[in-house]
Amino acid sequence: MSVAANRRRVDPDPAFARAFEEAASRLPGARFPELATARERAIARFVELGIPTQRDEAWKFTPVARLVNRPHAVRPPSEPPLERVLPHLLGGPKARRLVFVNGVLQPQWSHVGGLPERASIESLARVLETRPTAVLEELAEPDQGRSFTALNAALTDCGAWIELSPGTELADPVQLLFLTVAGASAPMSHPRIVLRLGAGARLALIESHVGLEPGPALTNLVFGARLQEGATLAHDRLLFQAAEAAFVGRAEVHLGGASRYEQTTLALGGALLRSESEVSIEGGEVECRLCGLAVPREGEHVDTFVRVHHRAPASHSDQLFKSVVEERGHHAFAGKIFVHPGAQRTNAYQKNENLLLAEDGEVDVKPELEIYADDVKCSHGATCSELDPSALFYLRARGLDAATARGLLTWAFAAELLGRLADPSARAAARRALAARLPAGAPADEEAAA
Amino acid sequence: MATALDTVKDYTEAEYKYGFVTPVEEDRFPPGLDEDVVRRLSAKKGEPDWLTEWRVAALRRFFAMEIPDWQKVRFHPIDFQAISYYAAPRQKERPRSLDEIDPEIRRTYDKLGIPIREQEVLAGVAVDYVFDSVSVATTFKRKLEELGVVFCSMSEAVREHGELVRRYLGSVVPPGDNIFAALNSAVFSDGSFVYVPKGVRCPMELSTYFRINAAGTGQFERTLIVADEGSYVSYLEGCTAPMRDENQLHAAVVELVALDDAEIKYSTVQNWYPGDKEGRGGIYNFVTKRGACRGKRSKISWTQVETGSAITWKYPSCILQGDDSVGEFYSVAVTNNRQQADTGTKMIHIGKRTRSRIVSKGISAGHSDNTYRGLVRILRSAEGARNHTQCDSMLIGDRCGAHTVPYIEVKNRTAQCEHEATTSKISEDQLFYCRQRGISEEDAVALIVNGFCREVMNELPMEFAVEAKKLLGISLEGSVG
Amino acid sequence: MLEIQDLHVAVDGRPILKGLSLRVRPGEVHAVMGPNGSGKSTLAFVLAGREGYEVTAGSARFGDEDLLALEPEERARAGLFLAMQYPVEIPGVANMYFLRQSLNAVRKSRGLDEIPAAEFMRKVREQARLLGIGEELLKRDLNAGFSGGEKKRNEILQMAILEPRLAILDETDSGLDIDALKTVADGVNRLRAPDRAFLVITHYQRLLDYIVPDVVHVLADGRIQRTGGPELARELEERGYEAVLGGRLAA
Repeated sequence: MSVAANRRRVDPDPAFARAFEEAASRLPGARFPELATARERAIARFVELGIPTQRDEAWKFTPVARLVNRPHAVRPPSEPPLERVLPHLLGGPKARRLVFVNGVLQPQWSHVGGLPERASIESLARVLETRPTAVLEELAEPDQGRSFTALNAALTDCGAWIELSPGTELADPVQLLFLTVAGASAPMSHPRIVLRLGAGARLALIESHVGLEPGPALTNLVFGARLQEGATLAHDRLLFQAAEAAFVGRAEVHLGGASRYEQTTLALGGALLRSESEVSIEGGEVECRLCGLAVPREGEHVDTFVRVHHRAPASHSDQLFKSVVEERGHHAFAGKIFVHPGAQRTNAYQKNENLLLAEDGEVDVKPELEIYADDVKCSHGATCSELDPSALFYLRARGLDAATARGLLTWAFAAELLGRLADPSARAAARRALAARLPAGAPADEEAAA
Repeated sequence: MATALDTVKDYTEAEYKYGFVTPVEEDRFPPGLDEDVVRRLSAKKGEPDWLTEWRVAALRRFFAMEIPDWQKVRFHPIDFQAISYYAAPRQKERPRSLDEIDPEIRRTYDKLGIPIREQEVLAGVAVDYVFDSVSVATTFKRKLEELGVVFCSMSEAVREHGELVRRYLGSVVPPGDNIFAALNSAVFSDGSFVYVPKGVRCPMELSTYFRINAAGTGQFERTLIVADEGSYVSYLEGCTAPMRDENQLHAAVVELVALDDAEIKYSTVQNWYPGDKEGRGGIYNFVTKRGACRGKRSKISWTQVETGSAITWKYPSCILQGDDSVGEFYSVAVTNNRQQADTGTKMIHIGKRTRSRIVSKGISAGHSDNTYRGLVRILRSAEGARNHTQCDSMLIGDRCGAHTVPYIEVKNRTAQCEHEATTSKISEDQLFYCRQRGISEEDAVALIVNGFCREVMNELPMEFAVEAKKLLGISLEGSVG
Repeated sequence: MLEIQDLHVAVDGRPILKGLSLRVRPGEVHAVMGPNGSGKSTLAFVLAGREGYEVTAGSARFGDEDLLALEPEERARAGLFLAMQYPVEIPGVANMYFLRQSLNAVRKSRGLDEIPAAEFMRKVREQARLLGIGEELLKRDLNAGFSGGEKKRNEILQMAILEPRLAILDETDSGLDIDALKTVADGVNRLRAPDRAFLVITHYQRLLDYIVPDVVHVLADGRIQRTGGPELARELEERGYEAVLGGRLAA
């Protein structure tokens, strides 16, 4: 490795390897030697890869080592009271749900029964215990040199395995709720979600990551979805971590012909929210929509990293990412559209809009296009500014005081993304979280209406 | 019936017209690079000690650096020891008048369409002619001297205006800025120096024409332009090289300094030899260009039309330090066959109410790759800064690539940044429409490409627009309206 | 002037024109009417030489030349002008600059010198005034951001400057309000001349109230089904294509 390449990594805190050794025997599936070997290889790989520094182009704007390279505990027990959990149970009364606390499944709040025969939702820990080879195949994906993916492979402790056979449709959403109770233990968990939708299958998924106590914590998620021909996935993601907690998540999505994927991420809390999405469009007539809202403040750092690959002709992708950056907030957005050779008649759009409201906030944007086909329509636009002074003036000229006018405009800017969430209860929860974050909250009459 | 692609192929596969070699006797160093080479080079040019030591320090930094790998371009490792760092047409001393110039060199510039003389074609443009490592002639010197404008070769500037050179050299691009800047600082042979005194509006375009002639060499020229308070200068740079199978390195450094209320307009039409269709030969154009808007209300404007070179890797930039200063970057980059271009700009906003505007047009054809890479950085101090960026790519054929890699970093809430990028192609509809109106397919392609680039072409001074439009395959017939 | 014999044209292997014959003499105005999908625009494009229209049989002569053997620009230079239903936008290319390039290309092929700038400007301004085209539109990029009506007027302006021998107007009335329709029709009528012919392709009769044709053809199913005078157009308007053509449409 050259000198330059070396500076792209720092050695992980030895606590990671110690935590692995200490926890290996009690991780799900520990009794299977093959699985144990794969986990050992993965931790070795993680130690070798180290933690990326800002010299690594993919982490250019995010000092991730500073935020996560510290001792964490694997699966420290915690039992939050029901009333603190209840507000986060989303998807309506008939939703299927898996709830985890610090990486441990909570059967008392989980419910995945009564599914159609051709659908299955299993806790990943259970799959590790009953069908370890399936997980091994999933872990054996080509090594892309990603530290956090390797760390996840070593310590995968929770998550879900969801499969819908062709033509199967779930009428009600599925919620995966990952709760973190930090306390003094600095917990870490490494969820993995495996999602397989057969041809024409339909699913609405709500993925929530919620911190119930402030304090250092790490959630390191790997999400992998494959949609066959004509399948539909609505994917609402709520990242509501508590102060000091870090979230590092990577979603890898493969889209077959005529499939439809809608991902909406609301990043509303956490010292670090790094959300990577890499979508591979592998057939024609695909509709892919990725949206996100970040509202970092008080030292919070949100890093949205998106890659959309058009590998087949005649598909459509659309991205809309916004941020409202409050005092000492930092938002980084790096989004790239690849149009691979032969992907003619691709339509790919990306829009990134940032409101920088604080003196000491920061916005870093890197919207990229990489195009190898000529018959395509691709564009991106990025803006960063304060509120539009003419709009502010207009509202004040209609009698609103400056603070109300600012609040109204800020809310209007951000609330567009609420509307992109597919599930009404997720929308309501996000609305509450957003109102609590923005200084002026939600407009009063809207509050009543909601 | 020919398709758009065929037409573009025909028209872009036209022979490189500047690929001839001039038979001149030359004085050159054997290949190789060490402190001794640098000291000998400096001694040969009769340089003062401070400059010799400056060069040696730069060389030490160069040896400690590596070629970065963040760029999109890929190339064979460069053997810096295989290059000869000094090649110059043999002449006893620099000719005192234009009449004394070697007739072969004179013929070269005639053939390139920029005859060395002070009348007719180039009336109104003063030209510094750089042939391999040295400046061979500068026109209109007398006239400029009357206004106090210094326009001469860098070697001469070191002798005659040592203090100015010493004050500004490396002040915008420090020797350790990047590996090629370090190399240039160590071995730069010549280049142009411009100083425009307070309040002077330079009445004519200043121009340097760079020509690589010798084989086995590189060109490492250094340009420094200082515009004192309230002055204005427009500077043009052109370049060509013979066709050779080897890749030749052009690692220039250009530094611009604009003081209060000064304005520098810097235009480049780059037509270095691009290599053949299979990608053999051609110039590696690895250039560091940077302007410092040091003064209040100063302005630096870069305009570039990049059609040549096997690889173009450069980012003419502006450091907007003075309050209310303005930076502009207008670029057309055309790549064809196996050419690679990774070019763009950096706008660093430091001063209050600084403004920048970026317009980039990339056209890729054949198997080429064309990348816009840009940085807009708004520091916390840059109250009320503004940036607008427009990046458009045009792809011709389905084997080329077009890429857009902008970085936007904002630390001040009162700043406004806007970035837009699009891609398009020449549609069959557009071609048919033109042909239905009697315009040949070839002319139609030129017309559409020129239309695509118009915003940038309009920024070029008239004298250069001619060459640039020709390069894009377009007749100059004045645009009506 | 234009003589089409038993023309068969296929698009993507699908036959569109199936034996169309038509003869246009200098000075005449022919209207070709037909329902959607009858092959009207195909006729216009194949005569102008657009790619993707495969002539599988038949011939078309323009004067004494084999029209189908010529490249599109050669047809244009020979005096064939197509006013398109959807004029194309070319950003960055000024409207007037384009027109001058076009005119000079046509003049050059006829052995004429380039038109002097002043004369060109005078001609364009005069025609523009007659067509209600403002100075600003002349300076804008070719068709870029023009309204539908502006695009159609601009087509007629180009026609007036290029002075073709045969002008094909493809659905020139589509998307025009009544005032614009009159302006455009007046523009066409001004250009009627003993040595110039027009082929007016339209779905509706209303354009023909303003540009009165000498001959009306009904095109359906890739062939001329009926030919008559202006009264045929009115009959179509009153009774509809189906009734006028009777059983022939189904065939």
